[in-house]
Amino acid sequence: MTTVLSIQNIHKIFGDLEVLKGIDVNVEKSETIVILGASGSGKSTLLRCINFMEVPTSGRIVLSGKTIGKETAGKVIYNEAELNALRTRVGMVFQHFNLFPHMTVRENVMEGPRTVLKCDKDECGRRASKYLDKVGLGWKSEAYPSQLSGGQQQRVAIARALAMEPDIMLFDEATSALDPELVGEVLETIKELADEGMTMLIVTHELGFAYTVADRVLFLSEGRILEQGTPAEVLVYPKQDGTKNFLKGHGSFRLPEPKLD
Amino acid sequence: MGYDWDFWVVFREFGLLMHGLINTLKVTGLSLTFGVPLGLCLALLRLYGNWPIRVPVGIIIEFFRATPPIAQLFWFFFALPILIGVEIDPFKASVLTFSLQSSAFFAEVFRGGIVSIDKGQWEAAKAIGMNRNKSLKRIILPQAVKRMIPAFLERAIELMKTTTLVGTISYADLLYEANTIAQSTYRSLEVFTVAAGIYFVIIFVCSIGVRQLERRMARTGETTAH
Repeated sequence: MTTVLSIQNIHKIFGDLEVLKGIDVNVEKSETIVILGASGSGKSTLLRCINFMEVPTSGRIVLSGKTIGKETAGKVIYNEAELNALRTRVGMVFQHFNLFPHMTVRENVMEGPRTVLKCDKDECGRRASKYLDKVGLGWKSEAYPSQLSGGQQQRVAIARALAMEPDIMLFDEATSALDPELVGEVLETIKELADEGMTMLIVTHELGFAYTVADRVLFLSEGRILEQGTPAEVLVYPKQDGTKNFLKGHGSFRLPEPKLD
Repeated sequence: MGYDWDFWVVFREFGLLMHGLINTLKVTGLSLTFGVPLGLCLALLRLYGNWPIRVPVGIIIEFFRATPPIAQLFWFFFALPILIGVEIDPFKASVLTFSLQSSAFFAEVFRGGIVSIDKGQWEAAKAIGMNRNKSLKRIILPQAVKRMIPAFLERAIELMKTTTLVGTISYADLLYEANTIAQSTYRSLEVFTVAAGIYFVIIFVCSIGVRQLERRMARTGETTAH
């Protein structure tokens, strides 16, 4: 197994609030990791530190064997160009999709390959078609984002991230802003990516989905990894009280089993 | 008491009015040509510059917004030549004044448009590896400009009306020529009615054109993607 991403002792402090208190994770190639935790536990921040949407206060991010930033006198210094290059290899899907509303679906997907990777016209076109087909929206190429449903918009956002052909994909509560009936199509798309061997880190509140898709589940609490393991270990047989309480909270609306006569 | 309207004198001097109109359009057009890009630069410096840049740029913008345009015009026409020892003709002084003056207002329009764009757009651009310049050029500005169109039109109209001040430094714009005709023919009522009518027609037609443009842009799908 090869390690694609290594997160080493990441701390993140906002003002005088320490959101991440030393996180270590190694992500293997083709691994799907789901990150769970109550709101405020730091799961989104952790994801955002990986592609430097937030710069970690301390710690190291190593992508494909290469440490990001230069360490001088105990302090890590990041340069903008290096971070931009890193972001081309780490795809991110946001809660609110954030499609570019002034561009068609196809233009949204081609934007990165064209203006950042400087691919030629044929290659941009090939990638747009390939990844829009993958998310099942090739037929919406010429539509504008505002003409799509939330679920379709999120699938376009996934295609836009995939078009960069990244080493790893990050999903930051990708279904939290969707109407319940639209959640399924997006989860299905993510599941397909997992089955194809994409390396992924997923922050979600969908426990059933976490159980099916994850190779490993991390449970975050107050900026630390409280518990981790296979979906069964963490979701079915949790050891820590924090995890148990969290799962109890999520289970309180489960429908009763039908009674058999 | 009936007034005996006589528009004939106005039409006899129509050439003079047209000459004035062309001068008005020249000053307005050139001031827009310089003022809009300069306004964009000022807005970007004010938004993203370090404080040694941001603060003076802010002061310049506020200065032009908070002083009467006629004082600015007099300053560039009468005072600046004393400072630099070079005569500035009324045309150049006018274009200089109104380019700078309108750039201050356009800077605020640009700034308002840029900050109105959802920060998720910046993040999405960043996430695919775009640097700040690329994000601005490809993602933020195209959306911001679309939103700014009504405010732009407002400023452009305001600018055209404010250029009537150039008559005070003897630059022969439409209103200045109207005044000349009025004084020689004693037909102020007719002359100023026609002059006002010309301003009205130009501004009205531009407004309709811009509204049409807005509607067409709205049709190409774009609202906000949420």
